[in-house]
Amino acid sequence: MLAKWKLKEVVLMALFSVVFGIVYLLFLHVGNIWAGFIGPIAYEWIFGIWFIVSIICMYIIRKPGAAVISETIAAAIEVLLGNAVGPRLILSGLIQGLGAEAAFAATGYKRFTLPVLMLAGVGSSIFSFAYGYLLGGFSVFHPGYVMLMLGIRIASGALIAGVGGKFVVDGLLATGSLRGYPIARAVKGDARA
Amino acid sequence: MKQALHKMNPSVKFLIITVCMLTLAFFFNPWTPLICWGGVILLQLCFSTIDWKKWLLFMIPFLIMSFGYFWTTIVFAEDRTGAVVWSVFQYDITRTQLDHALSLSFRVLAFAGLSLLFAFTTDPTKFILSLMQQLKLSPKIAYSILVGYQFLPVMKEEFVHIQQAHRLRGAVRDRNAIVRLWNVRRLLLPMLAGAVRKAERSAFAMEARGFTGEKRVEFYQVVRVGKNDVVMSALFIFILAAGCAITLK
Amino acid sequence: MTRVHEVIAFDSVGFRYPDDTAWLVEDLSFSIQAGERVVMTGPSGCGKSTILYLINRLYPENCDGELKGHITIFGRHALEYAPGEVNHRVATVFQDPDSQFCMRTVEEELAFTLENLRTPRSEMDGKIADVLRLTELTEFRDAVIQQLSGGEKQRIALACALIMEPEILLLDEPLSHLDPLSARSFVCLLDRLQQERGFTVVAIEHRLDLWGRFFNRELELQGQPQLSGIKKRTPSIRKESALRVEKLCTSTFLQQASFTLQKGEVAVLAGQNGSGKSTMLKALAGLVPAKGTVAPKTLGYVPQSPEFLFVSKTVEEEIAYGGGQKSREIMEAMQLEQVAGSHPFAVSHGQKRRVAIAAMLNDGRDVILMDEPTSGQDAVSLQELSRLIDERAREGTAFLIVTHDMEFAYAIADRILLMKDGSLTGAFQADDVWREPKLLEAHRLLAPKGAMEYEASFA
Ligand SMILES: Nc1ncnc2c1ncn2[C@@H]1O[C@H](COP(=O)(O)OP(=O)(O)OP(=O)(O)O)[C@@H](O)[C@H]1O
Ligand SMILES: Nc1ncnc2c1ncn2[C@@H]1O[C@H](COP(=O)(O)OP(=O)(O)OP(=O)(O)O)[C@@H](O)[C@H]1O
Ligand SMILES: [Mg+2]
Ligand SMILES: [Mg+2]
Repeated sequence: MLAKWKLKEVVLMALFSVVFGIVYLLFLHVGNIWAGFIGPIAYEWIFGIWFIVSIICMYIIRKPGAAVISETIAAAIEVLLGNAVGPRLILSGLIQGLGAEAAFAATGYKRFTLPVLMLAGVGSSIFSFAYGYLLGGFSVFHPGYVMLMLGIRIASGALIAGVGGKFVVDGLLATGSLRGYPIARAVKGDARA
Repeated sequence: MKQALHKMNPSVKFLIITVCMLTLAFFFNPWTPLICWGGVILLQLCFSTIDWKKWLLFMIPFLIMSFGYFWTTIVFAEDRTGAVVWSVFQYDITRTQLDHALSLSFRVLAFAGLSLLFAFTTDPTKFILSLMQQLKLSPKIAYSILVGYQFLPVMKEEFVHIQQAHRLRGAVRDRNAIVRLWNVRRLLLPMLAGAVRKAERSAFAMEARGFTGEKRVEFYQVVRVGKNDVVMSALFIFILAAGCAITLK
Repeated sequence: MTRVHEVIAFDSVGFRYPDDTAWLVEDLSFSIQAGERVVMTGPSGCGKSTILYLINRLYPENCDGELKGHITIFGRHALEYAPGEVNHRVATVFQDPDSQFCMRTVEEELAFTLENLRTPRSEMDGKIADVLRLTELTEFRDAVIQQLSGGEKQRIALACALIMEPEILLLDEPLSHLDPLSARSFVCLLDRLQQERGFTVVAIEHRLDLWGRFFNRELELQGQPQLSGIKKRTPSIRKESALRVEKLCTSTFLQQASFTLQKGEVAVLAGQNGSGKSTMLKALAGLVPAKGTVAPKTLGYVPQSPEFLFVSKTVEEEIAYGGGQKSREIMEAMQLEQVAGSHPFAVSHGQKRRVAIAAMLNDGRDVILMDEPTSGQDAVSLQELSRLIDERAREGTAFLIVTHDMEFAYAIADRILLMKDGSLTGAFQADDVWREPKLLEAHRLLAPKGAMEYEASFA
């Protein structure tokens, strides 16, 4: 999968994963404490945060695998830094990444517009919710409550991960530091067309 | 002996802990996770030299979270059958409700215990090296993560650096703490931009040192699998088995 | 007789960066034979480093630049090599000491290189020890690279290149951060090794005097005006004090130091690599936690790694950022007008340094600290730099300048502060220092030619 990647793209992805691994961890703590007071639904509002790295990396690098690998590494970093949900989290990362990846794959890795990025966020939401449903034992909750959780998570994924991710990368693009990456090439291509 | 958990091969430890967690996910009762949690703590007491104060500090969020699971499961529980065991504010809590609530919150604790064990007894660099050597992780990714990981301490400095640079260039610091906090947002993008540049340079450096990303056979730092791993894994399995067995009666 | 063969051949090569319209290099042809010692010269920003990147095959792939013509390395077309493949035989020491390492410690960096070369594990340890001994860096084996001084990093970079036992060694201004004696022993070492191993050396350098007769061929990329060296300036010290430093020290390295600078004074801070010069400037500028008093508090500071300072998106904005009025004039003096619209991070290394200097000069501070402003500058820039410093000093600005360039120090300094092992060993009138070989030797400095001629004329 990585054969076509330039080394600098791999390193960039790894670096973002590390950076966002920390961000994830911070939010996990925030979420944990909040959840202590209002229950597991506390996570749902901010769940999109945990999908953002896959969307950022894919939006910049635009190669198959960027979403799923970055999300998995970020999860692994969370585990390494300790106090996360444990090695199991890597599996969650993988699944969330697959959700985003599925959305990009559906467009043939050709379109990276806002709706596609939001769709990727939704993909992550759905995949991760399905996984959480099995593992987190949500089945003990009332179906209405579960649907509410899912709804909030989807919205969060689309907004925080999709819109937020685009916002971050566009800002970064404007600083000029993404020159030499596929996203910069694509922007230039647009300008010429 | 005291070092046995630290000395364990990180990949083996990783796999065995994953197995424990996945198994735990299939047991929905209060006892299995409770026993595992206790067992894990016992393991660390016997075979590690971790800083227990820090451990406790890290455990606190999980305790709160576990409590959250406890009461929400009781309030939002679907299954309200069984004998009433407890009454608070005229709200009846049944046997099943309590069981479910305890199962969920103990599960949180057991997972937290296992993951803290891993985090506190594993050297990140060794883990990545071991992933590459034992689990055949691609060197391209492994070394990229190592490079990224080294940036962690640097990122903190970077944040200070950017503030300093702005100050040096004559940006005035706002008196108001809230405005100052709001202004931090202006530092975040430069920080990411700095990270991007660092990544690019590291990639150049790696390539210039002849890194092609192909599988390698010779390592300077070899991470091995040994007898210690077998013994420790057996202990993990024993605890897990004990936890599971209790439900069978 | 040894058979001469071509290792590098450029055949009407052209190159341009993705966003540029003009070709940076056009129709460049040259060839280099095995075992040659070639120096590439040209004014700052003419594309020397870029050519080096083309030789070690980092470009064009990694920057999306456009390449015309043919580059042949070891008889094979450069683009046919996989990324990193040609680098098994071509080692590079980059220009920026900060951006050429990927591992944490020196040992790991060296081991990483050996792993890439598929060196058997049993030999690794010995090889690492050997190369460190050879470059006299054994004490740095476990050092964290991030925490080394600029010159130390540059020496480590050479060790990393040598351990590859390359067939071609590319050096991008390898002496620019070394103290004079280290620079000299660097050249000696290279000379000896080249004779023993017969590799090809391609170096970029602005100033050839430190190299002696090392090179056998010069490849001039672009003609530049011949300058007669910098004229010695006349002092412009005023009575009022501009900077008062009392008992400044940091918890880790810097020993207590006290000194004052007068208005209009130009002082040079010199000393061997790792003696604490940069640390001192950082402490003065308030960038590292330090005890003691520094008055006034806000000082202008040009760091050793210029990128540290950049906050804007174009060179022009960067220079104007502090609100100074003379942006245009300074930009022209520093030969930056042709890159005025470029991103400060996407210009040549020498240009970056000049952007940082220009920005600080433009900000109109009363005291300006400069960390190695001379490194990597061509003759024209050096002359302009000294002219600007002189001009500012006459207006009353005080300067504290760290430099390893003794000619430059001789030309501009009123006073020389010397440092060793983290402490300030003394402040001397500039002209006195050059007459004390013992003192210079102890700080690993060399007397400048200018001073020696001056002395001779009195003998
Ligand atoms: N990453 C980049 N993107 C776009 N343009 C660049 C980039 N790097 C350098 N340039 C431009 O290319 C020109 C040549 O740069 P290069 O680094 O090759 O110069 P140089 O001859 O090595 O100069 P110096 O002696 O200052 O190091 C410069 O004018 C610079 O503006
Ligand atoms: N961030 C740091 N943490 C710990 N030690 C450091 C750090 N930066 C520098 N040092 C150490 O402090 C000493 C002085 O470093 P400094 O950069 O001040 O030297 P210098 O005189 O500027 O040398 P050079 O001429 O090579 O730039 C060196 O031995 C270096 O290893
Ligand atoms: Mg250069
Ligand atoms: Mg220095």
